[in-house]
Amino acid sequence: MNNIYLYQDDFISLLNLINYLIKNKIKPDNIKPLSYCPTLLDEVINLKIEPTNNVIDFIIKIGNNKIFNIIYYVFLSDNENKELIIYYFYLNLLKYQTNIIYMRNLRCVTKALKIAKYVGNEAHRLKGFVRFQKLEHDIYYAEIAPNNNVLFLVSKHFKRRLKNEYWLIKDVKRKILSIYDKKDFYLIDEDNFQINDLKVAQEENDIKNMWKEFYDTIAIKERHNERCRMNFMPKKYWKYIIEMSDE
Amino acid sequence: MELKEKLKILADSAKYDVSCSSSGSKRKGDLGNTSFSGICHSFSADGRCISLLKILLTNCCIYDCKYCLNRQSNNIKRVIFTPEEICYITINFYKRNYIEGLFLSSGIIKSPDYTMNLIIETITLLRRKYHFGGYIHAKAIPGCSEYLVKKLGLLVDRLSANIELPTEKGIKLLAPNKNFGNTEKIMGYVKNNKSNKFVPAGQSTQMIIGATHESDLDIMQKSENMYNNFKLKRVFYSAYIPVNKDNLLPTFEKPPLIREHRLYQADWLLRYYGFKTNDLLDDQHVNFNLLIDPKANWALNHLQEFPKDINKCSYYDLLKVPGIGVTSAKRIMKSRQHFQITFKDLKNMGVVLKRAKYFITCSGKYFIDKTFFNKNFIEANLVLEDKQKSNPSRKQLSFFNE
Ligand code: SF4
Repeated sequence: MNNIYLYQDDFISLLNLINYLIKNKIKPDNIKPLSYCPTLLDEVINLKIEPTNNVIDFIIKIGNNKIFNIIYYVFLSDNENKELIIYYFYLNLLKYQTNIIYMRNLRCVTKALKIAKYVGNEAHRLKGFVRFQKLEHDIYYAEIAPNNNVLFLVSKHFKRRLKNEYWLIKDVKRKILSIYDKKDFYLIDEDNFQINDLKVAQEENDIKNMWKEFYDTIAIKERHNERCRMNFMPKKYWKYIIEMSDE
Repeated sequence: MELKEKLKILADSAKYDVSCSSSGSKRKGDLGNTSFSGICHSFSADGRCISLLKILLTNCCIYDCKYCLNRQSNNIKRVIFTPEEICYITINFYKRNYIEGLFLSSGIIKSPDYTMNLIIETITLLRRKYHFGGYIHAKAIPGCSEYLVKKLGLLVDRLSANIELPTEKGIKLLAPNKNFGNTEKIMGYVKNNKSNKFVPAGQSTQMIIGATHESDLDIMQKSENMYNNFKLKRVFYSAYIPVNKDNLLPTFEKPPLIREHRLYQADWLLRYYGFKTNDLLDDQHVNFNLLIDPKANWALNHLQEFPKDINKCSYYDLLKVPGIGVTSAKRIMKSRQHFQITFKDLKNMGVVLKRAKYFITCSGKYFIDKTFFNKNFIEANLVLEDKQKSNPSRKQLSFFNE
């Protein structure tokens, strides 16, 4: 049987569970969120640990902010084994502390660094690729469908950039919305919010067309290089990038 | 005329300026901010990053530079943006997150000072009336008064002037109205006054490649000299694209993209790897080898200094190894304090092993029998590797071979 330990879907619960397992010298076969569907070979164990923030302070104390971010980014990723990778990373963090990021001969370290980079890159890319549409009542609205759960990271960026606008960003894949009210943003479930009755602002088409015109004009045809464009702007993002969505 | 049509004309004439970066500044405004590391918002069909609304204020010009679409003697439609029009497009694009900011250049209308005043008026409007805090890169117009450079520099993140060609001879030939000294005067002024308020993201410049007979040595010497004298953030290289017919200009079907690529590689070596132009080129070799990148070329010509041992050699030695960059060199330095690095570990450190392996040992071990460590074997493999590489340069390389 595989011992599968369950946590309450959120980051803090996961860290608390891992902390508990390590303290009690328990080696899990896997760690999964509550929503996990066990197979016949799985034995699921729900320890129901009371989550506290102490574990975050502890990670930052023995490691640093950068190391904490690596763990957080791995958690945001779409990697199937992310919980187990975090478990082993955490285990080695206790041993190597801040030096852990140099231990590139350990699989869990190279994996974690790679995944964190992949998540960070996607968040960074989206800071550029998000396309807002202006709706009536001066609300800016965008949709994204990232591989990783980066809505929070992306929202943090736009909170600073478009701080005096109302905006909404929807993660279509995960059905979550980020709503900004000119003070802060809130992540909520799509089901709890109605946006269907908002219409696109009047000038929207003109602006969109101007942008498409600009986009087509700025390319130098003697330098045409499709492969290079795809490399930097993979096709999976095109659907939500208005200058690409008709291609 | 419709605004869209104007935009098309004035973006079309601005597109040959290759600078696209939006990094190096920490600005905040009521609308917008800058990102210190820069952000690309899109990529055009030629694979170049689009981060700024890159336009000319006008394509009218009193000069007649041979290589330029906007030269006075060309019979083309001339238009000019009003400052409000530029603000309207910039703000609307910015709020939809199409762009990181504005790149504003211009043909010379009436006089350099007159043109500069129009640019300043536009950007003042953006910053003061619309409280725009996004990135702005403006071109200074060579030959303008110094107080205008000062005024503009206080409004923008980056200010630059294009040197266009590496030698005065080249400029006299192709840009007869321009004065080499005027561009450098602007660079000197920017360098001496740079601060958190004045041109915080620094200055850059651009050279056209292949419009004259100037060699790579001429170009790199000029770059090195400008990096040293004016603390430029970047020199951009732009493969010449024939937009005009002129018997002073070369004709070719494809722009010299590989040559451009080699110059960029060499430029990195100057800025981050401690190389000097003289290490890479000399009077016998005035142009880069198009088949092999400059660093590998250098390593092959200095094979007596290799192989370097990953677990022992100095940081600067690591930087000399093809396939090892600044980041991976730093990682190696840190990691080897904790364990003996093997070839397998190097892959996890971002080293491009298929290039590096020929020039290194790991704790004394070479990747195959050490008798293979000789110039012919390594050179043949590197060239082969480049040809097979499935990256954008592949196409360029093969057209060159034909
Ligand atoms: S000054 Fe020369 S390069 Fe600049 S717009 Fe006029 S003709 Fe073109």
